[in-house]
Amino acid sequence: MLVLLTFLPLLGAVLIGLLPSKSESLLRLTALGVTLATAAVGLTVYARFDGANPGFQQEFLRPWFELASSAGPLQVRFHLGLDGVSILLVALTVVLMPLVVLSSYGHVHMRVKEFLVWLLVMETGMLGVFLSLDLVLFYFFWEVSLVPLYFLVGIWGGERRLYATLKFFLYTVAGSLVMLIGVIALLWKTGSANVPELLTKALLLTPAEQSWIFAAFALAFAIKVPLLPFHTWLADAHTEAPTSGSVLLAGVLLKMGTYGLLRFGIQLFPAAASEAAPLFLALGAIGIVYGALLAWAQTDLKRLIACSSVSHLGFVVLGMFALTGPGLRGAVLQMINHGLSTGLLFLLVGMVYERTHTRDLARYGGLASVMPVFALFLVFTVLSSVGLPGLNGFVGEYLILAGTFQASPFWAVVGVSGVVFGAIYLLMATRRVLFGAVTHEENRALSDLNLREVGLMLPLCVLVVWFGVQPAPFLAKCAPTLDGILERVENARAEARLALPSPSEAPVR
Amino acid sequence: MNANLFAELSSPAVLTALMPMLALGVGVLLFLVCEVVAVLRPLRSGVLLLALGASAVAEIALLRAERVPSLVLDGTFLADRGTALWGLVFLAAVALAWVYSRGYYRENRPFLAEHDALLLTTPVGMMMMVGANELVTFFIGLELLSLPLYALCAFRRMRAESVEAGLKYFLLGSFSSALFVFGAALLYMAAGATDFAALAEADRSSPLVLAGLALVCASLLFKVAVFPFQQWAPDVYEGSPTPITGLMATGTKAAAFGFLVVQLTPILPSSGRPLVAALALATMLLGNLGALAQRNMKRMLAYSSVAHAGTLLLLVAAGMGSLDEHGAQLAALYYLVGYLFTASGAFGLLALLEAGGTRFLELDNLRGLARSRPLVAALLALFMLSLGGIPATAGFLGKWFVFSVLVEADLIGVAVVGALLSTVALGYYLRVIVVLYMQEPLPGVPAPVLDARPGASAASLLCAALVLILGLAPALFLGLLG
Repeated sequence: MLVLLTFLPLLGAVLIGLLPSKSESLLRLTALGVTLATAAVGLTVYARFDGANPGFQQEFLRPWFELASSAGPLQVRFHLGLDGVSILLVALTVVLMPLVVLSSYGHVHMRVKEFLVWLLVMETGMLGVFLSLDLVLFYFFWEVSLVPLYFLVGIWGGERRLYATLKFFLYTVAGSLVMLIGVIALLWKTGSANVPELLTKALLLTPAEQSWIFAAFALAFAIKVPLLPFHTWLADAHTEAPTSGSVLLAGVLLKMGTYGLLRFGIQLFPAAASEAAPLFLALGAIGIVYGALLAWAQTDLKRLIACSSVSHLGFVVLGMFALTGPGLRGAVLQMINHGLSTGLLFLLVGMVYERTHTRDLARYGGLASVMPVFALFLVFTVLSSVGLPGLNGFVGEYLILAGTFQASPFWAVVGVSGVVFGAIYLLMATRRVLFGAVTHEENRALSDLNLREVGLMLPLCVLVVWFGVQPAPFLAKCAPTLDGILERVENARAEARLALPSPSEAPVR
Repeated sequence: MNANLFAELSSPAVLTALMPMLALGVGVLLFLVCEVVAVLRPLRSGVLLLALGASAVAEIALLRAERVPSLVLDGTFLADRGTALWGLVFLAAVALAWVYSRGYYRENRPFLAEHDALLLTTPVGMMMMVGANELVTFFIGLELLSLPLYALCAFRRMRAESVEAGLKYFLLGSFSSALFVFGAALLYMAAGATDFAALAEADRSSPLVLAGLALVCASLLFKVAVFPFQQWAPDVYEGSPTPITGLMATGTKAAAFGFLVVQLTPILPSSGRPLVAALALATMLLGNLGALAQRNMKRMLAYSSVAHAGTLLLLVAAGMGSLDEHGAQLAALYYLVGYLFTASGAFGLLALLEAGGTRFLELDNLRGLARSRPLVAALLALFMLSLGGIPATAGFLGKWFVFSVLVEADLIGVAVVGALLSTVALGYYLRVIVVLYMQEPLPGVPAPVLDARPGASAASLLCAALVLILGLAPALFLGLLG
């Protein structure tokens, strides 16, 4: 099942590659069909997922090749599986993809075939990252998924796309290669590449080894998220990406970073993670405020949303490294929320850009009177993004802040101020786009959203409300796994406390 | 003595060990006969392919032999599974260079027969280098490889840059050979023997031994263009006929590193580790920075080849002073096999693109190639990704194995710096993809004319397929290594 899920899009890409490139509508329909089929498979997997089981489920295992390690030969496996950390992200990915394909109708008019092929390859890459339970396989998908995005932004992007793609690629690869050293060291020292096995074996490493391997992993993930000092690639990549690229980037790709932090940072190295938690809390909280301030200062609507991503992902990291029950739950929910809300925002920006060919806030104004349906959707999405109770953003942010308050009241307060800033810049931007008088005469002729555009946003809007009103069923899928992770952290902390009074004793292995 | 030698030569074990080289040697002679006798002239290509094939079969036989002959000829020559694999690498490199050289030379009288005879001699030298178990045998192999290459570099004799390349390579190559002989003489003076077992026993603190080892290493680093001996590479690579450039980048590099990693590394003193690691990192840095500054494709690939030599030198640093406990030979083999198909494929495509008469292929010439020649562009892009070490390609696993060896040897700092330096490399590999896929042709810059002969096209596709297979199903190749 999981193999089908992962490789169905790739098969679709091959199929589209074989179709004639002239009949664009056939190509688009095929791509839509493939993504819908993948979504069907993905949702079946989701339905079958047993939330009460904290371990890995629906595993698929095949030997792949052998490596050497200090503990004898090491079998690298083609190993896929799910747990509470990955299930929601997988579901998000498969749900977003058909909508992304639909949205490309509006803005991709050249080299349609290549575009769709890369889009589908991308889906396989992303699903592979979330589903891999073998470290080598994970790394494989992790780096491969860069290539399709590189082409998507580089060919169909905006004016400064070449600069943006290069920057994004080099930033990410630099982090990935440092992680590669960490992966190799982990494999060599533990003699296993299997994630479930590593969960026990990684704890046997010395604290120093755990710390530096954790650091190598965390660097790559922090760049991907992106955490504060590494965020500059994001604004460029987002701004230059085509709408579909932005939606994927915000919706799924950034989550690869936060997913990695949770899976290979906190879950694998609980001791090192809890040691490093203050740093990440600080980076997350500062990221929230700094991202919000950055967004406030933007005049380009797309750049503004890109900066808001920095702020929102700051929340995810904050909640994660609070290392408390509500914090972790909130972080996972917020990953999905951000995918939904920011995905919607990018779709909306794309739609208005297709009509006005500008993203400059000053070139809009009073669009509400011209495009009432668009206005309705934008206001709804912005409210979800700022965390209005009853919509999805509220639940995640509330849980994160509540969880952070238990761990560190100071950074929770800083985070709260980010919520306020977030409301300010998003609402101000909305006002400048939608309300007031129509300041640019040419904007009077704009057409409102068509049925396709409304249709592709509706599923996301439904999910936004669903997550806001009744998050419990979603939380139930991930909570047992998250509690398991928390238990590992508590154990590691308890061990560290035990070790503290008598540092002269040899560490217990 | 003579009778003894003859008896030994005709023993089956020795024949098995030497067969790959004998097949090639006989092949060269037959080839020359065919060239002279007009009736036999059409058979030339057949003879050449037959010689390469026979040699490959002999290597495979060696690979599968129950009892591996190991040391033969008074312990001067080593033949085992390892050397058999290296031999296959050399044969593949030469075969690819030969395929790509068909139709490449457009001179009035290209002297193709001489070209092919010289080309067919080079793998004998390479095999001898990797199999040599003592310094003099190695030197003969080195010269057997170098002399034909000097001539081959200058083979476009009507072009100044080709003659310049040949002359430059010859002068600097002779210089490096002299260094080797001097170093070998010093080692002989100190140890009283030239075989590596005796050298391994020699007192590593004696200045004579140290100076000898340093000179021998310097000469080899010259051949593979490692800092501070890398300056010749861009000019020679650019001026030489492109198929020969490919052979130098892959075959020569494989032979020199094969010898370095298998034979020389264990007898190098481990105190030299920091020095060699520093040289390796400096080579990677210089190669990458140099490549970033190039617009000319061949010069860019030349600098990239320097950077790859730097990465391979990291393996030497990791293995110094210890027997091959970290799988350095496996890593070097995997890396070089991947690099062989990637770089040969890339140089081969350039050779095909130059066929229309483009003298210096610049990045601008390749603009928008994805529109006019989608398959060529896709292959070139794949080779660039493999050179950059992106997963699903051979380059990635090669890099993986090199870094594994470093981590195992506890050189983690070096590994991290090396990893960051290879990020820089992606800057220029990606630029090729940008030019191919994301830019429109410039007005006034002629698009390259592609002369794709069936053989060359098949070779390119084969290279691409192998790059992917090595990247996705490494078990096939790792199984060969046992």
